[in-house]
Amino acid sequence: MSTPLPRLTIRGVLARKFRILLTILAVVSGVAFVSGAFILTDSVKSAINQIFEELRGDIDLEVRSTIAFGDEARAERDPVSAALVQDIIDIPGVAKVEANFFAAATIIDRDGKPLRTSGPAFGISWTGPDGLDGRILLEGRTPVGPGEVAIDKRSVDRAKFELGDVITIVGPTGKGDFTLVGLTGTSNSSGSGGASISAFDPQTADTFLGAKGLAESIYVGVEDGVSRSSVQAEIANVLPENTEVIPGEQSAEETAGAINDIIDIFGNVLLGFAAVSLFVSAFLIFNTFAIIISQRMRELALLRAVGASTRQIRSMIIGEALIISIIATAIGLFAGLGVASGITALFNAAGAAFPAANLTVAPRTIAVSLLVGVVVTVAAAAVPAIRAGRIPPVAAMRPELGFSALQRTKRLAVGLTTFLVGVALFCFGLFLRPGGNTGTFGFAGLGAVMLFLGVASLSTTVAAPVSNALSRILPLPFFPMVRSVPGRLASRNAQRTPRRTASTASALMVGLALVSMVSVVAESVKASFSEQLGRSVTADFFITNTGFQGLPVALAERMAELPELSAVSPFRATVAQINGETKQIGAVQGEAFAELVDIDLQSGAVASIDRGAILLHADPARDLDVGVGDFIAVTWQNGTVSELPVGGVYGDSSIAGNWLISLSTLKEVVTAPPVDFFVGAKIADGVEIEAARTAVELVAEDFPSAEVQDQAEFQQSQEDQLNQLLTIVYGLLVFAIFIAVLGIANTMALSVFERTREFGLLRAVGMNRRSLKRTVRWEAIIVSVFGATLGIVVGVPLGIGVANALPDTFITQTVIPTGTIITILVASILVGMFAAIFPARRAAKLDVLQAIATQ
Amino acid sequence: MTVAAQAVDAYKIYGSEDSEVRALDGVTVSFELGKFTAIMGPSGSGKSTLMHCLAGLDSLTAGAVIIGDTDLANLDDKSLTKLRREKVGFIFQAYNLIPTLTAEENITLPMDLGGQDVDQAWFDTVIEAMGLGNRLQHRPSELSGGQQQRVAVARALASKPQIIFADEPTGNLDSRTGAEILTFMKHAVSDLGQTIVMVTHDPVAASYADRVVFLGDGKVVDEILNPTADQVLDRMKRLGS
Repeated sequence: MSTPLPRLTIRGVLARKFRILLTILAVVSGVAFVSGAFILTDSVKSAINQIFEELRGDIDLEVRSTIAFGDEARAERDPVSAALVQDIIDIPGVAKVEANFFAAATIIDRDGKPLRTSGPAFGISWTGPDGLDGRILLEGRTPVGPGEVAIDKRSVDRAKFELGDVITIVGPTGKGDFTLVGLTGTSNSSGSGGASISAFDPQTADTFLGAKGLAESIYVGVEDGVSRSSVQAEIANVLPENTEVIPGEQSAEETAGAINDIIDIFGNVLLGFAAVSLFVSAFLIFNTFAIIISQRMRELALLRAVGASTRQIRSMIIGEALIISIIATAIGLFAGLGVASGITALFNAAGAAFPAANLTVAPRTIAVSLLVGVVVTVAAAAVPAIRAGRIPPVAAMRPELGFSALQRTKRLAVGLTTFLVGVALFCFGLFLRPGGNTGTFGFAGLGAVMLFLGVASLSTTVAAPVSNALSRILPLPFFPMVRSVPGRLASRNAQRTPRRTASTASALMVGLALVSMVSVVAESVKASFSEQLGRSVTADFFITNTGFQGLPVALAERMAELPELSAVSPFRATVAQINGETKQIGAVQGEAFAELVDIDLQSGAVASIDRGAILLHADPARDLDVGVGDFIAVTWQNGTVSELPVGGVYGDSSIAGNWLISLSTLKEVVTAPPVDFFVGAKIADGVEIEAARTAVELVAEDFPSAEVQDQAEFQQSQEDQLNQLLTIVYGLLVFAIFIAVLGIANTMALSVFERTREFGLLRAVGMNRRSLKRTVRWEAIIVSVFGATLGIVVGVPLGIGVANALPDTFITQTVIPTGTIITILVASILVGMFAAIFPARRAAKLDVLQAIATQ
Repeated sequence: MTVAAQAVDAYKIYGSEDSEVRALDGVTVSFELGKFTAIMGPSGSGKSTLMHCLAGLDSLTAGAVIIGDTDLANLDDKSLTKLRREKVGFIFQAYNLIPTLTAEENITLPMDLGGQDVDQAWFDTVIEAMGLGNRLQHRPSELSGGQQQRVAVARALASKPQIIFADEPTGNLDSRTGAEILTFMKHAVSDLGQTIVMVTHDPVAASYADRVVFLGDGKVVDEILNPTADQVLDRMKRLGS
């Protein structure tokens, strides 16, 4: 009985439960997105960690090459000699030692195509279930001898193979036929994440996988009761230089960690879109509260009159927001489970690599979802709450004295400042790139948020004139809207409450601004890419890779022997450190590459790399202040350092990247088995295109992941990849746009409620239901077209900014996608009509007498 | 005579020089403790403005409003809120009650807001006097107009304020219900010792008061003690309304 605030707050929420339903829905969707992203990544990561821990089995120690720098997990390590097994086995305390042969090996399915897996395809050496690794036999027996293989059960099931089938597998040395004798798995899983694993006995693995006595690593099992660390130290003593021995767990964690990193990136992308949805939801929440408060003005003023303090009113509104946010967050968390399963299903259907996992709801997920849901809701309700606290008590008797609007100049100043600071932060993040990717995204993101808020605030000022203008030009194709009564009323209504019109439109603006921005960037990338391709590529064919690993090097070697081709070069890459920074270095066959790609050579000769030189792009050449004849020190991953002479400087990095060396130089410093990114080829003089293509395809047939493309196909496939990415981005943004559309529907429904009396009066003086509906619908259209216009006006410059900030490798020209812009505008009209369906129906249903009697 | 509230040389001016409106144009008037006073005047005479300023709902352009011995000009929003909660009661023409609260909760609202205990004996007396015993758990939407207004009167009385302001309390009621409310209010003054200041334009309503103060063009122009409806009507006619 003593404190009425909780009571008033709870009753306040209950009394308006239908009006806040959409608000709750908006918060729910945002939170579900956030919790879904966490649940998904946590679940997948724990499943992957488990698989790799299971695969570790009895491997206590692992011997491998060291790397001089770079990412432990994704390093291209030199192999180690399998002969080390003999040195290690003699060390006291060592129970078992196995050489681990490992290479890419693609399984061919019943249709002669590479088996579709949701991860890489590997071949390994395996000594059976008693071996050191954690692989077990689920069916059949251990493969023995050159003609047998065991494959993970999941891949076998997917390919519908049976024990005893003869299966073709393509490894680094070419094709081989093997009898399937065993189905492998781990103690809790029938696969190895999304990868396919073909297991051979060690000798077969060595030959078929082209290891030539060089192992990926060496597994060591330690006798029970012997100190692992002392054995580790003993082993370290017998190891050659550049070789290390590490605990088995560390190796498993590093491998799992590399996959976890990719999943984290995916999760962060989802979280980014969740943030967009929440930001849009915030507009909806803000609007709902602002409108509800203006509708409750007399009640709030009465509370003030009978002795409620400004703080009590504010607390009450914030309390309502808190209740709503907690309800919505709770629902959102559960919905997150659905989002996680949904996204998993969606991506798995598209062939992605999510292992089956129990959905994990970590305490962090609950905490973050709660925090995000509550903070966003309460923050969005804060301004309306402050405004509510300012309602003077006298408004209880004289509602016209209700709100003292913020001064126009003050609002303009605040809006403009927010906007300009936002633009500054956005540009700062984008062009100066402080603190790497995190800093770039942080500053640019914060800048974008402020920029959007600034525009939302500024748009209040232009809402009335723009609404007026829109109502005049919008229906031109049909008839001038302003001349009809519903049109006039709709336009005046939009102008009457510019603040409401502006903030409703702003929610849509955010979503559409991002769509416009992304489409400017994407179109620019596409245009730049085809321009560069057209200018620099002189190759007739590209052999690209459709699998997870690169192309076997044998492909390029065999193509080079074809008489139909005059020049063939693969493109390989490695990482190295130059001047203390890690760079990607491309490797090609220099003489041939010069025929295939015009890299806009400014000095020197491309073929110089075949004599041990390095070519570099003009930008790093300028930064390092080097030219032809100078030497550059390159540190390779195995720690060796080469002093390479500069053989030339070029201007087009679109295909070559910034650094080029020859294949032979690469072979000297990187002993890990190489793979090719792609292979380019040029037809010999006098050979028909068709004949050349047939010859190339005949070779490619032996390499299941190879795809032969001519220039146009190559370009098309690159664009297809980009379009696929775009579709996903748009798909995720549609979510935010949907929330914005809900917002328009919500505002219109609340407005209809507010104008009950006014609509009753219109009906009383003879307006029919259809015209009334039309009034509501047209107002919604004005609002949504206003939002779309704002979105385009904001988004296109943002896109141009991003396009200019991206390196020249991606973008050489900026394109404004007129088609997309027109689509957005037309779609926004439909969006308005859609949003108005329910509110318009409600307005038309009003009982005339009752409506007029309403206070 | 003990003064419950007074306005001294009160001015309330709206707008700037050209379009200046003087809602109150030098009003000095005091209201005696334990009396029922009516303020009358034609539309635009400033009677509502005077009441809003007396009650601390609105501020004066110049002059002073004193409730008990507190000068409102010296109070910030926080103290004004406290004063409204503890020293002042309100009865409005309509929309007096919070729709989400029951009758009882509406009545104790000012005390609840201030975190004060309800004086149960006094509460019972007020409920008894207003005849609301069996309506306490109803929501405003379940009460008739007269009942709602009785709840409003009870709320104004419940915190034992120094003074109660009523703004056309019978304006929305039929004459029989209106008479009933006015009787309750008169009873609250005579039997319960409360002080009420009521703004009205209804001579019959005014006739329930101990004293009628007439306002015209923002100035006090006349007053009658122990008025009858006819006297009030007569005076109003002479004031040219």
